[in-house]
Amino acid sequence: MPHSLSTQDVTTPGGLLLVLAVLVPFVGVLAGMVLGSRSAQRVALAILATGLAIAIAIADALVRSGDAVVYILGGWTPPLGIALRADGLAVIMLLAVAVVISGIGVYARADFGTPQGVREARAPLMFWLLLLAVWGSLNLVFVSGDLFTLYVALELLTFAGVPLVSLSGQPETLRSALRYLLYALFGSVLYLLGAVLLYGAYGTLDIMLLAVRVHPEPVTWAAAALMTVGLLAKTALFPLHLWLPPAHAGAPAAASAVLSGLVIKGSWFLAVRLWLDVFAGVVTLPSAQTLATLGAAAILVGNIVALRQVRLKLLIAYSTVAQIGYLFLMFPLAAGLAAAQLDSATAVNGGLLQAISHATAKAAMFMAAGLIYTTLGHDRIADLRGAARALPMTLVAFALGGASLIGLPPSGGFLAKWLLVSAAIMTAQWWWALVMFVGGLLTSAYVFIVVVRAMAPAPEGWTPKACVPYYQQVAVLALALCSFLLGMAVFCPVDVAQIGRAVVPGIGWP
Amino acid sequence: MTTSVLLLAAIGAPLALLLACMVPGLRKRMPLLLALAPIPALVAALLADDTPVVLGNAQFALSFAMDEPGAMLLLVAAILWIAAGAYAATGLRGTVNAGSFVVCWLMTLTGCVGVFLAADLVGFYFLLAVLSVGASGLVLQGGTAEALRASAVYLGLALIAEAFLLAGLVMLAMATPDGSLLIRDAAAAIPASPWRDLTLMLLVVGLGMKAGLVPLHFWMPLAYGAAPIPAAAVMSGAVVKASALALIRFLPFDIALPDFGLPLTTIGLFGAFYGVVIGIMQSQPKIVLAYSSVSQMGFLVAVIGMGLANGDASATQAASFYAAHHLLAKGALFLAVGVIATTGRRRLWLMLLPAAILALAIGGLPLTGGALAKLAVKPVLGEGLVELLATLSAIGTTLLMLHFLHRLAASAAPDPSASAPWGIALPWLLMFVAALVVPWTLYLVTGIGTWADVLQPAILWAALWPILIGAGLALGLWRWGRYLPRVPEGDIVVVGQPAMRVIVQWGDALEQMEGVLRQWPVAGLSLLTLILILGGVMFNGH
Repeated sequence: MPHSLSTQDVTTPGGLLLVLAVLVPFVGVLAGMVLGSRSAQRVALAILATGLAIAIAIADALVRSGDAVVYILGGWTPPLGIALRADGLAVIMLLAVAVVISGIGVYARADFGTPQGVREARAPLMFWLLLLAVWGSLNLVFVSGDLFTLYVALELLTFAGVPLVSLSGQPETLRSALRYLLYALFGSVLYLLGAVLLYGAYGTLDIMLLAVRVHPEPVTWAAAALMTVGLLAKTALFPLHLWLPPAHAGAPAAASAVLSGLVIKGSWFLAVRLWLDVFAGVVTLPSAQTLATLGAAAILVGNIVALRQVRLKLLIAYSTVAQIGYLFLMFPLAAGLAAAQLDSATAVNGGLLQAISHATAKAAMFMAAGLIYTTLGHDRIADLRGAARALPMTLVAFALGGASLIGLPPSGGFLAKWLLVSAAIMTAQWWWALVMFVGGLLTSAYVFIVVVRAMAPAPEGWTPKACVPYYQQVAVLALALCSFLLGMAVFCPVDVAQIGRAVVPGIGWP
Repeated sequence: MTTSVLLLAAIGAPLALLLACMVPGLRKRMPLLLALAPIPALVAALLADDTPVVLGNAQFALSFAMDEPGAMLLLVAAILWIAAGAYAATGLRGTVNAGSFVVCWLMTLTGCVGVFLAADLVGFYFLLAVLSVGASGLVLQGGTAEALRASAVYLGLALIAEAFLLAGLVMLAMATPDGSLLIRDAAAAIPASPWRDLTLMLLVVGLGMKAGLVPLHFWMPLAYGAAPIPAAAVMSGAVVKASALALIRFLPFDIALPDFGLPLTTIGLFGAFYGVVIGIMQSQPKIVLAYSSVSQMGFLVAVIGMGLANGDASATQAASFYAAHHLLAKGALFLAVGVIATTGRRRLWLMLLPAAILALAIGGLPLTGGALAKLAVKPVLGEGLVELLATLSAIGTTLLMLHFLHRLAASAAPDPSASAPWGIALPWLLMFVAALVVPWTLYLVTGIGTWADVLQPAILWAALWPILIGAGLALGLWRWGRYLPRVPEGDIVVVGQPAMRVIVQWGDALEQMEGVLRQWPVAGLSLLTLILILGGVMFNGH
């Protein structure tokens, strides 16, 4: 049976970088825990720079070799040992996450910094440690090659994400955090159950080995359904999004940016990995369409409910509910292309771009909302007057992020839409294109409302409640620009996302 | 080589100024440069040849090129942008909020020049989006509650139109051989496309909405009414022509497609009359002009439709020329509205007379550009019913424009000795001269016709009698016009309000449902149900 992963079982040049990408953030966590919050910040920022460099080096190794980067732990090849491998998809996610985390880190210096002479507190320390932990676990999700390591990575991700919700320690935020924790736990249980079923049936947890061994039979379908739905619960795909809006209501802006931009992408990425690489021969077009139907419902409901929010923060949170929907439109498109013997890269690249452009745009928008909150002392949408005058750069960033969500060129959202619409037309599934267009219109409505309200002149004699540092505004704008200019990726001469994903027949495998 | 420099400078100049606006110190001085920003575009329109400029690599490239319709429209658009820029700079002197006006202005200018020059699908779509967002920002500069509403309606409709367009463009791209994204190749490939009808439909609907075709014309009176005068001038003149130019470039004129051409002509002609009927019920000069734009754009689309129906390749030149004249005259008349409003009774005639000449030119007054434009499109329209309707529309236009002049004269400044500042009167007079001279030059240079054609007595008379009938009708309108009903600007947009209420109610219901789904028991149940559904669907599929 053909499968879509290339088949190396030796460590490639640059393979060690994968280990570093996972270990370095966790080393930072340990160091920060020992040294206290003032040093934790310094450690975190140093790790951010190092991690970004590692991510770039991995991308370099990938493009240079033209094949996936692999590291075999201890020299034991799977199924005995564990392999870390990063194909084009994983490397692009690694890189995007590194960029977004760095932006968030720079921004958070102002909110979670501990200047000289101020007593060290718990919240800043927790924030920096959790930020690094989220990063390390995300990297592990991207490079892991077997289902159990992935399970561990997912758990780490959840446990790092949950406390971010309740950094302030208010009873309300604790309740939201608990809600998130419980629901994510259900998701984990389902995923684990599926993994166990697969192990029982096929005797391996290695993704590449499973890909050749799985057959369309009831146990595989049960495993696929359990694992997928477990991941959907963690990704907060409608109607499994009960934890997402409350989690954002009380979280600090930087924490919201991490949650909305990054954490949910971890479980989404795993779902993509499973559907494209493990279950490619098992899942059917109708089942992929079921996922996309949920996605379409998410887009419509999320956007409409977003339009009705009173607080800016919750508007952005519901916009995330909607944007998660877009991420699942790629499944039937990729399946349709594969069924028609066409290259499914169009759909996969579209979905990937959507994820990255949402990660950058949404992080920027949450942080912009945070700056607006600090400046105005509230984030009621009806009363944003003066925000544009006080924070011109931030409002531009918000608008650019919004443009990317709407899908205006040259944003990443536009290129993603172009690719997904092309795939929809090629596979004669035009209704997904329709959903994307309607979603874009609804998105434009709330972006317009926010921008126009913020541009209204402030009342006479109004002064900002607080001044925000310039570098925070720059960080927000930089992330928004990343998202807005991501469409330029089309000029990239090689299709990086598809490196290491060439279709090769699975000859020579047990 | 020189062409590439010219084209890049045409787009790059406004873009560079736009980027320079990020520096607050430069932004404050930018109004002075508004009139200079379009000059590279003017030079490019005059000097560039048809060598394309390609930016990018073998995988993907943006390209820009000058073709005949593009050169014609870019030339006149640049003149309008220069005049309106000078006008706007005068108005901006000493205002606090000049920054956002300048940003929107430069963004619209970049988009406008870019769309006129874009030679590939992606670049075209990108610059069209820049144009739409910039223009809706310009409408917002009116600063009133109406401006906010008009801007929202404009942006909303533009985005809906662009959604249609995007779907159409994606289909075009997929049907074009060798992965070419050039508009030229795409248009040539339409007849053989497996999705020919759907592609054409999407393109025509998307571009038609942006061109203000009835019944999706209502954004025009709202937007032009609410926008500041120079913004209304460039929008009604230059911006709206982008969609006409796109129709000219995208539609395949080398094969006869009556199934698309004739309905397009019908809708266009309906709009031509509809604009007149609603326009004569309006009292504000700007709104009357906006309805005249609805009417004229309808007529232009009708011309394009006839060209498509008959597979008449000469329609592109004729339609571009018609659009070029309308661009100049309409842009000039919008500036006239501002000039007259600041001119007292004593000097009114000095300013009103040129306005009267241009207004009647739109109706087709002999020896003006309008008569040339009507003459140019005559062969495309052919003989018979369409020709008759075209003549009737000329009568209607004359009536509407005389109504406009009547309302314009009534809007003069109350102080009899007031006179418009030179900073706005000069740009207007420049536009007046350009609207008289440039169509003649274009007509003779591009070889659409010759002096001898125009000066035949039969031709002159054919142009004159509809004007006379229109003038007679206008007398009737002045006498009995008060019995006409008053239609709110944007006419059918009022239907939207009850519709909005229904949508809000649905939104309520949806929000409640979403709240229920977020309850613990329901969410738990959803989890289990989804597992069963997903497993069941996979089981069923094998």
